[in-house]
Amino acid sequence: MDKKRQIEIWVGVFMAIGFAALFLLAMQISNLGTAYSGDTFRVVARFDNIGGLKVKAPVTIAGVEVGRVQAIRYDPDDFRAVVEMGIQAQYLGKIPDDSFAKILTAGLLGEQYVGIDPGGSEDALKDGSEIALTQSALVLEEVVGQFIFGKGQEGAGK
Amino acid sequence: MLNLFASLGAWGMASLTRLGRAHLLLFPLVRGLLDILRRPRLLVDQLFSVGVLTILIIAVAGLFVGMVLGLQGYNVLSRFGGETALGFMVAASLVRELGPVLTALLFAGRAGSALTAEIGLMKATEQLSGLEMMAVNPEHRVLAPRFFAGLISVPLLAAIFSCLGVLGGWMVGGGLLGVDQAAFWNGMQEGIDFHDDVINGVIKSVVFGFVCTWIAVFQGYDCVPTSEGVSRATTRTVVHSSLAVLGLDFVLTALMFG
Amino acid sequence: MQQSAKECGKPLVRIRGLRFRRGERWIFDGLDIDIPRDRITAIMGPSGTGKTTLLKLIGGQLVPDEGTVEVDGQNVHALSTAELYRLRMRMGMLFQSGALLTDLSVFDNVAFPLREHTRLTESMIRKLVLLKLEAVGLRGARDLMPSQLSGGMARRVALARAIALDPMMIMYDEPFTGQDPISMGVLVQLIRQLNDAAHLTSILVSHDVAETLQIADQVYVISDGRVVESGSPEELGEGGSDWTRQFINGLPDGPVPFHYPAPALSDDLLEGARC
Repeated sequence: MDKKRQIEIWVGVFMAIGFAALFLLAMQISNLGTAYSGDTFRVVARFDNIGGLKVKAPVTIAGVEVGRVQAIRYDPDDFRAVVEMGIQAQYLGKIPDDSFAKILTAGLLGEQYVGIDPGGSEDALKDGSEIALTQSALVLEEVVGQFIFGKGQEGAGK
Repeated sequence: MLNLFASLGAWGMASLTRLGRAHLLLFPLVRGLLDILRRPRLLVDQLFSVGVLTILIIAVAGLFVGMVLGLQGYNVLSRFGGETALGFMVAASLVRELGPVLTALLFAGRAGSALTAEIGLMKATEQLSGLEMMAVNPEHRVLAPRFFAGLISVPLLAAIFSCLGVLGGWMVGGGLLGVDQAAFWNGMQEGIDFHDDVINGVIKSVVFGFVCTWIAVFQGYDCVPTSEGVSRATTRTVVHSSLAVLGLDFVLTALMFG
Repeated sequence: MQQSAKECGKPLVRIRGLRFRRGERWIFDGLDIDIPRDRITAIMGPSGTGKTTLLKLIGGQLVPDEGTVEVDGQNVHALSTAELYRLRMRMGMLFQSGALLTDLSVFDNVAFPLREHTRLTESMIRKLVLLKLEAVGLRGARDLMPSQLSGGMARRVALARAIALDPMMIMYDEPFTGQDPISMGVLVQLIRQLNDAAHLTSILVSHDVAETLQIADQVYVISDGRVVESGSPEELGEGGSDWTRQFINGLPDGPVPFHYPAPALSDDLLEGARC
C-alpha cells in the first residue's frame, strides 16, 4: 500500500513538473507572455517596395510597438505592395488618418519593421482605412547606386 | 544473382507483413483506452516506470546540452557582435529541434528498450499466454497502458528538456560569459513565436512519443520468445526508433518551417 | 468415444478430425479425442508431438487448419472473442513455467483473476485467495515475489491461481518436468485431490510416464499427429503395440527411430562435397 502511494506521488510530481515546463515554454520563453493577443483593427498601407519586410514584423509609433504586420500581397493593378497591419484596439480612433508609414530597419542588419509618424489631422484611422502617405524600404543596392551616380555627376560637372 | 533477388524479396515481404501487424496492433491499443479509463491505476503504474524514471537522464542531458549551446553559440555570435541573440539561438534550437529530438532518442534508449525487454520477457515466460488463458486480453491489459504512458510522457519530458536547456544556456551565457541578462531574455521572447515554435515543437514531441512507444511495444509483443529474440527485439527498438525519429524530424520540419 | 460415453455421459471436450500445420509439417493429422467429465485424462507422447499445441488449440489460442474442438458443447473456434473469453473464465491452465506475473506478489497473482473478473470486495478476495493458497500449501508464502519461489512452488502458486475462479476444467502442461522427486510427489497428489474434491475435469499433458499413469483415469498416446493408443492405464500396461511399449519403457530405438528423418548419411556427405 505504501509503495502504491509513493508511485502515485511521484507520477503526480512528474505531471506537475511537465506541465509547469510546458507553461514556462509558453509564457517565459516564447512571445505569448509579451505579445498582445487581444482585439486588433485592420489598417492598410501601400508601398512601392517593402524590401525585406515580413509578416508578423512589428508596427511602431515613436518606437513603441502598437501592432503587427498581418499580411503582405502584391497588387498587380498599381504595381505596389499592400501591407495589412493589425493595430491594437486600444489605439482605435487615436491615430490621425494623415499619418505617415515608413519601412525602417532595426540596426544595421536587423529586421525590418513599419514605423508610423502621426500626422496632424482631426480624423483618426478606422478599421479598414488606408494610410495614404508611405515611404518604401531602403534597398541597399539602390542607395549605393544613387551614391555612385551622384559622385559621377559631380565628376562630370567639374 | 537470382538468389540475391529472392532474399531481397523475402526480406521485403517479411518487412511488409511486420509493418502490417504493427498497424493492426494500433486498434487493440486504442481499444485498451476503455480498460484504462475503467482502471486508471494501470496507467499510473506505467507513467511511473516510463516517465518518472526517465526524468533524471532527461534533466541532466537537457542542462548540459543547453550549456554547450550557450558556449558554442557565444563563440560564433560574438564574432559578429551578436551576443545578444544568444538567448534566441539557444531557445530556438532547443524548442524547435533538440528538445523533441534528443528527448525522443534518450527515451527510446532508456524507456523504449526497457518496454521491449519487459514485454518480450513476459512473452517468453508465457505470462502473456497465461493472461489470455485467464480471459484477460494482454493487448488491452499490458500493451495499451504502456503505450499511452509513453505517449503522455514524451511531450512532458521534451518540455522539461527544453526548459532546463534554456536554463543551462542562461547559466553559461548570462552567468559565465557575461551576456546582458535582459537582452538574453528579451531576444528570446521576441524571437520565439508561440504558435510557430512552441506548438510545433510540442506536436513534434507528441509524434515522436507515439512512434517510439509504438515501436517499443510492438517489438516486444512481436519478438521471438527466446532470450536471443528478446535481445534482438530490444536492439531493433532502439535502432528503429532512432531512425524513425530522425527521419520524421526532417519531414515534420519541412512541413512546419519549410 | 464409445468408451467415454459408457463411462460418464457426454464428454466435456470433443476433438474431431483435428488437423494443424506449423510451416510445412503437420503436427496433428486427423486427431480424435474425447475428454470425459470429472476425470483426469492424460495425453502422452514423445516431445515434439505438439502436446502443448493441443492445449492451446483447446484454449482457443491457436486456430486449427481443419476439424473442430468442442468444449462443453461449444465449438471453440466459432465463438466470438467475447464468448471465447467467457469460456476461458471456466478453464484453468497451468503453464510449464507457471507463467506467474513477475511484478506481482504471490497473493496478488492468485487474486489477479478474481480482481479482473469479479466485483468481490477486497476482504472477500483476501479470504478466497488464502483458501486457494491453503489448498496448495503455500499460505505462508503469500508475500513472496515469484522470483523468490522455487520451480515447484511457482507451479503450485500457478495452480492456486488457475483454480481461483473455480473452473470446470484445468489443463496441465507438463506439470512434472524438471521437478525434484518431492515436489513431483506433491504435485501428483495435488492434481488428484483437486480433481476429486472440486469435481474438476483435468487434462494432463506429460511425458513423465510413471507419475502420469499413477493418477490418470484415461490415457491417450499421440504420435505423428494421431492417437496411437488409448484406454485406462491398466489396459495400456497390459496390451499395447511395440510403439507403446517403447514409449512406456523408454527404449532408445524401436518403432520411433533414433534419427530424425533424413536422407542417407552417405548421400548427405557426398552432396556437401559436390557443392
